[in-house]
Amino acid sequence: MKSMFGKILGGVAATMVAFSAAAADTVKVGILHSLSGTMAISETSLKDVLLFTFDEINKSGGVKVGGKPYMIEPVVVDPASNWPLFAEKAKQLLEQDKVAVVFGCWTSVSRKSVLPVFEQNNGLLFYPVQYEGEELSKNIFYTAEAVNQQAIPAVDYMLGEGKKKFYLLGSDYVYPRTTNKILKQYLKLKGIPDSDIEEIYTPFGHTDYQTIVASIKKFAAGGKATVISTLNGDTNVPFFKEFANAGLTSENCPVVSFSISEDEFRGLPAKELQGHLGCWTYFMSIKSPENSKFVKDFMAWLKAPKVTGTSYNVTGIDAKGRVTCSPMNLSRMGVYLWKQAVEKAGSFEVDKVRTALIGQKFKGPAGEVTMQENHHLVNNVFIGETLPNGQFKIIKTFNGVAAEPFSEKFLK
Amino acid sequence: MTRFLNKKESLILAIVSFLILVVLPCLNAFVPKESFFHVSDFTINVYGKYLCYAVLALGVNLLWGYTGLLSLGQCLFFALGGYALGMHLMLMIGKLGQYQKDIPDFMVFLEFETKYAETGGLPPHWMPFRSIWFAVLMVIVVPAVVAYIFGFLAFRSRIKGVYFSILSQALTYAACLMFFRNDFTFGGNNGLTDFKFILGADINTPETKRWLFIASGVLLLSVYLLCRWLTSTKFGLIQRAIRDSENRVLFSGYATAHFKLFVFVLSAVICAVGGALYVPQVGIINPSEMSTDKSLEAVVWCAVGGRSTLIGPMIGAISVNALKSWATRAFAEQWLFMLGGMFIFVVLFMPNGIVGLPAQLKALKARYIDRKKSGEEPAPVDATEPAPATKSAD
Amino acid sequence: MMRFLRFLLLAVVFLAGPWQIRAADSNRADLVTAILSEDLDHQIEIIKKLSDADEPIVTQVLAAWRLSEVYIYEQDDKKIPFLLDPQLNSDGEAKGLRIIDGSVINDAEGKPIWFASFDLVPAENNSKLRIAIKATLDFFSLSDPNPKVRRDATIKLGQSQNLDYIPNFEAKLKKETDKETIRALKEAIALTQLVDEKKEARIAGLKKLGELRSINSMSFLQDFLKKTKEDTKVDRADERKQAESTIKIIEGYIAMGNFAGTSFRGLSTAAVLLIAALGLAITFGLMGVINMAHGEIMAVGAYTAFVTQNLFKSWFGVSGGKFDMYFLVAIVLSFITAALVGLILERGVIRFLYKRPLESLLATWGVSLVLQQIFRSVFGAANVQVGSPSWLSGSFVVHDVLFAYNRIFVIVFAVSIVYGTYLLLTKTSLGLQIRAVMQNRNMASCIGVRTERVNMMTFAFGSGLAGMAGACMSQLANVGPSLGQNYIVDCFMIVVLGGVGSLGGTVSASLGVGVTNQVLEPWLGAVLGKILVLSGIILFLQWRPAGIFATKSRSLDG
Repeated sequence: MKSMFGKILGGVAATMVAFSAAAADTVKVGILHSLSGTMAISETSLKDVLLFTFDEINKSGGVKVGGKPYMIEPVVVDPASNWPLFAEKAKQLLEQDKVAVVFGCWTSVSRKSVLPVFEQNNGLLFYPVQYEGEELSKNIFYTAEAVNQQAIPAVDYMLGEGKKKFYLLGSDYVYPRTTNKILKQYLKLKGIPDSDIEEIYTPFGHTDYQTIVASIKKFAAGGKATVISTLNGDTNVPFFKEFANAGLTSENCPVVSFSISEDEFRGLPAKELQGHLGCWTYFMSIKSPENSKFVKDFMAWLKAPKVTGTSYNVTGIDAKGRVTCSPMNLSRMGVYLWKQAVEKAGSFEVDKVRTALIGQKFKGPAGEVTMQENHHLVNNVFIGETLPNGQFKIIKTFNGVAAEPFSEKFLK
Repeated sequence: MTRFLNKKESLILAIVSFLILVVLPCLNAFVPKESFFHVSDFTINVYGKYLCYAVLALGVNLLWGYTGLLSLGQCLFFALGGYALGMHLMLMIGKLGQYQKDIPDFMVFLEFETKYAETGGLPPHWMPFRSIWFAVLMVIVVPAVVAYIFGFLAFRSRIKGVYFSILSQALTYAACLMFFRNDFTFGGNNGLTDFKFILGADINTPETKRWLFIASGVLLLSVYLLCRWLTSTKFGLIQRAIRDSENRVLFSGYATAHFKLFVFVLSAVICAVGGALYVPQVGIINPSEMSTDKSLEAVVWCAVGGRSTLIGPMIGAISVNALKSWATRAFAEQWLFMLGGMFIFVVLFMPNGIVGLPAQLKALKARYIDRKKSGEEPAPVDATEPAPATKSAD
Repeated sequence: MMRFLRFLLLAVVFLAGPWQIRAADSNRADLVTAILSEDLDHQIEIIKKLSDADEPIVTQVLAAWRLSEVYIYEQDDKKIPFLLDPQLNSDGEAKGLRIIDGSVINDAEGKPIWFASFDLVPAENNSKLRIAIKATLDFFSLSDPNPKVRRDATIKLGQSQNLDYIPNFEAKLKKETDKETIRALKEAIALTQLVDEKKEARIAGLKKLGELRSINSMSFLQDFLKKTKEDTKVDRADERKQAESTIKIIEGYIAMGNFAGTSFRGLSTAAVLLIAALGLAITFGLMGVINMAHGEIMAVGAYTAFVTQNLFKSWFGVSGGKFDMYFLVAIVLSFITAALVGLILERGVIRFLYKRPLESLLATWGVSLVLQQIFRSVFGAANVQVGSPSWLSGSFVVHDVLFAYNRIFVIVFAVSIVYGTYLLLTKTSLGLQIRAVMQNRNMASCIGVRTERVNMMTFAFGSGLAGMAGACMSQLANVGPSLGQNYIVDCFMIVVLGGVGSLGGTVSASLGVGVTNQVLEPWLGAVLGKILVLSGIILFLQWRPAGIFATKSRSLDG
């Protein structure tokens, strides 16, 4: 009984083993994002934008290797916000589906969970979400913002605005912890005493921010205070509602959030958030020809979603009120960088693609990005002020910031 | 000790064990990849995981199916076992981590080097886990102690039924929150991951995975035999009596609390051992493994397979998980409908699960023939009433 | 919003006529000089000087400069600072308006040039400049018609402790009518006096701050105290004494406020728990159904509020009294929808499981998975936005203790639904039947109660309560597919702790847990606080296994 089921699975695998390149000019590419469970809130949009990008590339002739075009064929799996399942699905993609590359993961823990799988199978993963750094795998390319591309510029900006007191508020997991640890060291370097830094963590799914907001109010009473928030997407609603109701505004105590992008904004009370700040390497409001094309094409694609050149049936697309945001843009950047590298290497082989990826440049919606030797990007960083329509108004741009995953290097 | 397996059962058991412990691994190791009979590394790895789940299901079932205690905390013990072994595996990484330090990566960035300077950054309670034997001992001792304390408190004040379920859920939830904290020294939300070696062997190679699969098979077999033996003894009889009517057992002079406590601790240990073997196979253990959802899932496996039997939970655990593995790939967007729908269906229409299906079909058929014969409505035989496991109101 | 409106208004004024421009001529020239100057000190000087010139054009240009929206255009080797016309053409481009006279920048042929903002070079602004601009803008805000803006500006300027501002504050104080702003002005003056050269003024400032119970000045007072201690040149013992006593007064005041604040917060947390758990107290407490889908039924209510909001938006537009009423309608509708879902659930699944309570747990868990996925397919995986009506936003302050309207609403709502439920259960015939069926289903059936119907009604009622809870939660937390998961464990704990089947128990349990939680949180942090509460509950149930209010029964298994 048990072995029979194994056989069926094995049989399915056997038919799939027929190496992708040999099959009718398609190349299989994996999408590893949670479509159910707690993380589906954020990750579903990334799946959508990836499918859109595949369609975009296929429409313009696919990936060309040795003069031959290959259509990208997506393989979508649902790791269901379950970390061991992430590892299993990664294994399935690499060992059974034999995908050429995987785009996926949102939380650090999911990335940590699949990392050994990619190293063991010599796979290739593109990771698009801002994270705490302190990691470097030869099998992962981090298109995401590193701490020095998000937290440090934001704090620099706040210091420049004359802020002297910093309230570091975060959800209790690794990204906020690490970011805040780095920020504390950084603020100390900038001469802010420990007594003017407060560090508070709340559990996942925390809904009661009364006490914390009361303490922020006290903290901000002397003026020149700011909140640096690494709360994860879900808990921002109760926090900001409480914050606004307490009479705190962006005027008397601005909040810089690292986890609120336009996509999270859709579920947030815009009224309450107006004037607070975000810091990303992309905003939907960026004015560039590349960006207007990206936004326009994506919105059009959502209404009639398909992946040209494949039989993949796109379902579960929600076309209402959609936006683009930094993780989405970085997902798309990843696909294009991979495509260019494959074309340069003339092969889908991971080792060759990896070498070709270094130094690869691409002019995207937010300007040119360059893949560095440390598998992170050089990217433009923007600080934006939130508007009541759910968009960000860019108030400050840092050009060509090179990501550095290890904090000891940029803290010196 | 009386013989607790009859001849036919022994034979079937031997054949199934042979298939799992010898044939499958051999098909993986020695049959060339192109052959139809080859079992892929992926399959071996995934089924190794399912076997651990089956152990967990047996633990849940010993408590629920045989003693009538529905615990929503068994995954806590599963995770505790996993953590105990995971700690050892973490220390085996050596200098191969991101920071190339002696201590695990998360301790480096949480600045344990200054916090626990006298031990070189390693919190004192981590020290003995360098020894695998200590870790294995802890796999058993820690969950047993937690279960003993909680069980002692709960059974002493005669908490039972729904109260026990909710209380065990609260315990799990509290523990889960505790482990989420980075200050708790167990890696916080990320948990323990990126293992490199187990018993000196590279943990990620197909050979190691194969041996882990075999080990899981052996574990499942021994746990099965243990449960089988236990339920066939007088102890097992009292166990079931407690399930069916605790008060009568109590009035007959048995200290039911002691029996329940023993079963609870035993079940915790079974779950923990399953968890310990699970961790090296999936390569990560983190607090969401002890969330209440996971415990509920384990209970559902038992229900699907058929509780109050020993085969049922194993079948349930393996088939539900295999279905999940398949559906999350084939129907990435709709699989929750399938799974949720299946749970409802099983609870409503298959009270004895997959194992009870043949008997149920037989009864249905008999009823159908009955009706044909008499040509009128038969006396309402409630086919959906589960055979055992419900407690009659005293 | 205000700022934006003003911006629009200004843009209109700006284009209105030449007389406007003439009046502002010298200021415009100053602005242009400041923008084009290379010397930072000179720039700051001009900006400071402009703080006397509260004119629309100055406000507008300074605000735009701060946000990098002043651009430079080079024509015939001359640098022309300009703003973009808010009117965009179809390509998203706009005309350029010269700051010097407001005229449109034309090309050589006399046609207006269209600029795309991303191609342009903004006038430089560094942080020092931005701070100076902000201070000037704050000065303008001192005469803003909105008292809140005036107050905020006063507080900010006061905290910059600049002695030059005192005459200005005093002048404003004479004209000011708003009570809060008067207090803010007094506070600002006293605070600024702390840096006065004269000792008497400093001591007067300290005394005044004590009288005002000024929480805002605490950090300044502490700095001041430190300085008096460190000062070795002059003996400042009397100042130190005065500062210490002022700090003491304010600290005592803060402690009182903390106590009142914690009590209120505890009460409102308790109300949230109670609202969430009340439905479960009916379905689980009275009926014995372990309803794991309780959280998802709450989500049904929350999504109903979302849909209602959108309907109102499309009917009445976003602003105005009619839109604000959506929430009241939403509460009623969410009760109805959730009750319907409950009805379907009861008929379809639960009625088969009354004899098997533990299995109702499994089946309803399956239901909760399916419902979550339905939310995802219908409303998308992302959270949805449910806005607060204006009467639920904001707060009022009594002696520096904050009372948020939505929290007050939650408390009132909790009290009224508990009272309503109590009335239903004790004063109506349906309530009588419900209690009869719950106590002894068979006996009730024997004396002619239609138990099936009562079960159905009770479950629907419990679900309806959960739905209302969901609508209420949409004002406090996020609305998304996994909304229910956040509450389910807490709800069960509350009902079990209170004693299954006892409404009073549920009320006291939520009060106990809510207040304990809020008392513990400032000391231990949110996570440890919660863990401690959970452990507390486990231990409490040791002592009283059947909860706070155990239902008395002669049955062995109670």
